[in-house]
Amino acid sequence: MVLINLTGIQPTGFTLLADDVQPKEGENVAVSVERLLAEDSAFFDTAGGVGAVITTGTPYADLDAIAGKLAFAVIEFPAFGDGRGFSLAVRLRKDFGFKGEIRATGPVIPDQALFLLRAGFDTVDVTSERKTAFEAALSRFPGFYQSDFGGQTSIAHARHTVGHTIGHSGEGHRKAS
Amino acid sequence: MYAYDTYDHAMVNARVAEFRDQVDRRMKGELTEEEFRPLRLMNGLYLQLHAYMLRVAIPYGTLSAGQMRKLAHVARKYDKGYGHFTTRQNIQYNWPKLSETPDILQELSDVEMHAIQTSGNCIRNVTTDQFAGAAADEVADPRPYAELIRQWSTFHPEFSFLPRKFKIAITGAAEDRAAVKWHDIGLVLKQNEAGEVGFEVLAGGGMGRTPVIAKSMREFLPISDMLSYLEAMLRVYNEQGRRDNKYKARIKILVDAMGIDEYRRQVDAEWEKIRHVPIDVPEEEVARIKAFFAPPPLPVLADAATEVDELENANFVFKAWLANNTGAHKVPGHAHVTISLKPHGGIPGDATDEQMDLVADLADAYSQSEIRVSHEQNLILPHVAKSDLPALWSKLDEAGLGTPNAGLLTDIIACPGLDYCSLANTRSIPIAQTITERFDDIKRLMDIGPLKIKISGCINSCGHHHAGHIGILGVDRRGEENYQLLLGGSGAEDASKAAILGPGFNEAGIVDAVEKVVAVYLGEREDDETFLSAYRRLGPDVFKEAVYGTD
Ligand code: SF4
Repeated sequence: MVLINLTGIQPTGFTLLADDVQPKEGENVAVSVERLLAEDSAFFDTAGGVGAVITTGTPYADLDAIAGKLAFAVIEFPAFGDGRGFSLAVRLRKDFGFKGEIRATGPVIPDQALFLLRAGFDTVDVTSERKTAFEAALSRFPGFYQSDFGGQTSIAHARHTVGHTIGHSGEGHRKAS
Repeated sequence: MYAYDTYDHAMVNARVAEFRDQVDRRMKGELTEEEFRPLRLMNGLYLQLHAYMLRVAIPYGTLSAGQMRKLAHVARKYDKGYGHFTTRQNIQYNWPKLSETPDILQELSDVEMHAIQTSGNCIRNVTTDQFAGAAADEVADPRPYAELIRQWSTFHPEFSFLPRKFKIAITGAAEDRAAVKWHDIGLVLKQNEAGEVGFEVLAGGGMGRTPVIAKSMREFLPISDMLSYLEAMLRVYNEQGRRDNKYKARIKILVDAMGIDEYRRQVDAEWEKIRHVPIDVPEEEVARIKAFFAPPPLPVLADAATEVDELENANFVFKAWLANNTGAHKVPGHAHVTISLKPHGGIPGDATDEQMDLVADLADAYSQSEIRVSHEQNLILPHVAKSDLPALWSKLDEAGLGTPNAGLLTDIIACPGLDYCSLANTRSIPIAQTITERFDDIKRLMDIGPLKIKISGCINSCGHHHAGHIGILGVDRRGEENYQLLLGGSGAEDASKAAILGPGFNEAGIVDAVEKVVAVYLGEREDDETFLSAYRRLGPDVFKEAVYGTD
């Protein structure tokens, strides 16, 4: 696997904790939402940065209790067509003002690269054969019709804003901030 | 009509380049068919029974003469000389070669057309009233809003991988010619008491295995809130729509399961959170798009034209065409004209390259270079001066496009069925052909009056049989093609679900059954009663008796 960096964020190094393993003091760990909800303080008190592993079936209301404490999030796509993953990322950014890294894992396809970026993802875990196609897909479209939660304004707004530029070279996303 | 600016062009051209690369990788074997499938589907390219099929979007059914010429050119150069206009105001080509599809899309892009989101689990081509901008009974032209939705929904970062496909229809007139109540979301332009224009919003309609008529979400939504409200509706659906069973994945199932009130509550809660995020476009953008749909500069003319009266008196076919295929225009002295793609014995919705070229020429000569496609699979010239009608009709008639049957029994909607479609149980086209041959008598058809027959080759209902005054559904009965007969559906403002009358028939039997149903109507009708009103008054029993006999 290789990590595709969509926004230029400093990716988080972390340990994916198995169910029966406790975090080491100060360690960055990723844990399932269920476990975070059940054993909340065990993690947030001991570990370093805590990330939630969020499945696409997670009701977003489950994020209420934990989103404010997360350092990063990993959204797992069981299939590339499971669009709930996009809404979860949007929810994190929009409803919780989440600023940490959002990573996509699972069989997402290169042609989704810009969809992921625009829904608020920073990074994607992909198989190494897909790296080139993913990177090519990132520079394919000059602009989009939607404003997104990563800070890009829509073509509709750009049309009427003097001096406004659009583009997905990263400006307007994280690199600018 | 809307015209692309550099942003729109750049977007569609980038899409063609992307698709060319994908096809290239597929041809070289770098992509397997399994990997390629979702990519081609996102570009409207299906694999059918015999060949690939390319579905090209005709946004809200509006075309220029130049675009129609391009469609004719594509039919001639890349296909077998014809195209098929669909119930979703699109056109399908049945025989493109995979290697040539990027070239087709490039040619289409040159005239501001594309195949984006004509398939896949995304927001599809927004459909509307085929007489939009022309009909006398319109509150407002729905097309600027359809274009806004087209742009907002194109490559939407969040709603491109929904539980299932998603169809939105808009109408601007009280008479619903866009079947909005049969859509995932229906929008009806209305004026409120203060004289402001906004939408009634409907949700959860759909056909398929579980036909449902849409329910009202809001009586009045201001236009400026349209996109944020749609976004809230789509978000709740994207998160909670079922993904475990594709037959239960449409929004109609979600709305039924949670109830319209709960769905509305959740949408409203979400909408409150996003109303002030700049999803809705700036006012200047709405004004920019609206300007493209400004009414054409038609002169006000006398409503009576001597040329028309003379030919009407001399020629019965013209008289029939005038009565059935033309309608009241906003501007006095003009009419909108329906060009029937339902010649008796022909294939509903098919047009040859020559016919498409001719329609383009006629649009240039008589209709401000504008053409429309209806969900009933006909073509429309929206802005014709009445004094031009005789000349227009004779040119259409010569080319086999003058069938005076719009809105009558032989103006049949039929899906492609087993002649093309890999999901079909039965053929649909031959049933339509046999029925239209059986009723090939314009006097008889006019006596019968408005009657909509709709035929689907399987329960996916692409032929809208649930909404047919007479619906025909192809089923598989132990390996035999079998046709069920349904009565009493409507796709209009008085939407209703057609009900199955009784056991199914074979190919000959279904045509006889239709004839018996019509005979019962003619015998039982009162005064000017239409077929649908008579059926609603009489109920199914007398039809059942006539069709199945009594024991
Ligand atoms: S209704 Fe069925 S047979 Fe007809 S086009 Fe749709 S899927 Fe194919």
